[in-house]
Amino acid sequence: VNLLTLALYAAAGVAYAIHFARRSPTVGRAATTLLLLGALTHTFAIGMQTMEVRHVPFANPSRAVSTFVWLLALSYLYLEIAADERAMGVFILPVMVGLQVIPAAYPGVENADPVLDSPWFWVHVSSLLFAYASFALAGVLGVTYMLQFKEIKKKHLGFFYTRLPSLSILDSMNLRAVVIGWAFLTVGVVVGLIWTAQARQVAPGDPNLQAMWVGDPKVFIALVTWAIYSFALVSRPTLGWSGRRAAWLSALGFVVVMLNFLPVSYFVETSHTF
Amino acid sequence: MHLFLLGVSHRTAPVELRERLDFSSRDLGTAVQALAAHPAATEAVLLSTCNRSEVYVASDDPLQAREEIVGFLADYHGVPADAFVPHLFERSDGDATRHLFRVAAGLDSLIVGEPQILGQVKDAFQVAADRQCVGPLLTRLFQSSFGVGKRVRTETALGEGAVSVGFAAVELARKIFGRLDGRSVLVVGAGEITTLAAQHLHTHGVGEIVVTSRTGSSAEALAAKVSGRAIGWDQLASAVAGADIVVSGTGAPRPILTHADVQAAVSGHRSRPLFIIDLAVPRDVEASVGSLEQVFLYNVDDLQALVHENVSRRGAEIDRAEFIVGEEVTRFGSWRRSRGAVPTVVALRRRFEAIRRSEFERLGVKLSGLSPADRERVDEVTRLIVEKLLVEPTEQLKALPDEETQAAYTEAVNRLFGLRDEASEIDRSIDRPLRRS
Repeated sequence: VNLLTLALYAAAGVAYAIHFARRSPTVGRAATTLLLLGALTHTFAIGMQTMEVRHVPFANPSRAVSTFVWLLALSYLYLEIAADERAMGVFILPVMVGLQVIPAAYPGVENADPVLDSPWFWVHVSSLLFAYASFALAGVLGVTYMLQFKEIKKKHLGFFYTRLPSLSILDSMNLRAVVIGWAFLTVGVVVGLIWTAQARQVAPGDPNLQAMWVGDPKVFIALVTWAIYSFALVSRPTLGWSGRRAAWLSALGFVVVMLNFLPVSYFVETSHTF
Repeated sequence: MHLFLLGVSHRTAPVELRERLDFSSRDLGTAVQALAAHPAATEAVLLSTCNRSEVYVASDDPLQAREEIVGFLADYHGVPADAFVPHLFERSDGDATRHLFRVAAGLDSLIVGEPQILGQVKDAFQVAADRQCVGPLLTRLFQSSFGVGKRVRTETALGEGAVSVGFAAVELARKIFGRLDGRSVLVVGAGEITTLAAQHLHTHGVGEIVVTSRTGSSAEALAAKVSGRAIGWDQLASAVAGADIVVSGTGAPRPILTHADVQAAVSGHRSRPLFIIDLAVPRDVEASVGSLEQVFLYNVDDLQALVHENVSRRGAEIDRAEFIVGEEVTRFGSWRRSRGAVPTVVALRRRFEAIRRSEFERLGVKLSGLSPADRERVDEVTRLIVEKLLVEPTEQLKALPDEETQAAYTEAVNRLFGLRDEASEIDRSIDRPLRRS
């Protein structure tokens, strides 16, 4: 099922690329249909895993990545339908396909520590994954903003100019994605703190729980992320950082998010399993 | 039934003649009604724009239709036939279809890909439809042409990219700001060129338009034209700060908006971009202004270069558009052929069924010994035989490759089975619901 999902996402990615280059509405509809099918099989896969382990699967990195990709697919579909704009697909799908390779190649075993079995923990993880999905959209919107900004500024109106929505639309969609992501990030971090405090009372001797503080790379980078996006939101009204600077910030923020999500999960010693 | 087209266009007739044959300035409805009253023009649509006057008719007798249309044009416009007949072009059936599809796609326009023509084709059809002057053939033809226009617009870049400086500026503004309503415009200078630009922006629905000029009276005059407001020349710098779009076109010998002026205007908490269009030669705005972060500066040459690029890009899209037209012409042709065989097929089926029924009834006495179930079976078996006999000829008639062949075959079938009257009656009854009484 993981492979089928991956194949559907890849096919959708190709269709979005063709749609972007040739602007054929039929291909565009096909792309959306493929993505919908991919998201459906993905939902099915995640549903099966949920039944199997009796909670949404994200207690190991691969499954968390899979859940993240699933949330990204759903958020993107929402964006596409709400804004009636397919041009972003060609930028989002490569991110999804690239990430989905991980769970397809290493499915991983869901092996939840009993200490994690708390509703707080699940709220913590789902909010963060959803926040990351929003940031992914914001990052892509930021990159496309910069591409188009450059073309208009340089007076060389070419490939992107004829295909992307206007700068002001990209900017306002970016703002919306950052606001939503920031809200979920805040909820995720706060819930994480509450849960850690509670879990420490239940299992005072757990070394992992002792390590969960700002010194932990995962927690640290999450706070950096929070700082970046908070700045992005505050600087907009106070310093006039919208448009190109906001776009740049959201692209930077997403790089940091991905850094925290992948290399830190897999290669750095941390109290978090991902 | 044939499609027939007769008309003049910018390719065949000089503007003086096109003016004399123009319908758009007169009551198009009455004209199309008058035309459709002619016996050979069973269905009629008049397409009249400043570049063309074209008459589309569906007729059983194209030769007679041609006579009648020429007569109608001469009478209606009071122009002797000799004056315009040499400039007429005519097309029939497949060629007429292709012509209309190319027109709707903007391929036959003076400026290739211009978007207004599709709306004009729609209007022309609507006027004729409102007066019941169209039947199934022209209805299908025109509706297909709307589809062609839409496909060409969405699937090619034929209509894309402004081909005039004014449109190029508006298009850029759209790309930067999205919708233009609510955006405020500052117009600097009240000469001819800024007046045109201001009117252009006004028709595209920008928010407030503020005008300033060295001579206050001309600023006020322009402001009145575009329902804007005039301000004093000394407020220029502060007005830039409040504007989203600045259009400048004064006769000043040196720049009136310097780097420092604009920097002051966009510094502070301003987060919106500023789009400056410098239409003046020599330039009104210092070139270095364009390097300010949120400022997009375009001068006349920049816009002209865009227009130039767009024109050549449109040229490159023509082949793709022609390909779409070709596809749709083929599709329309096969629809016509499948429809052309329908009356004969229906008549043939009715004839066979009538024979079967009468034979079955004639045998009624002999079959009276059978049980009701057996009688039903006999009925069923004979019905199936007739069905099977007709399957192949029906398919073949509908699938014939071109119109002439089809006409020959249907004629042959009509004659072999003596169906001619019946078939033409069916043909009329298919059309009747849409045709005028």
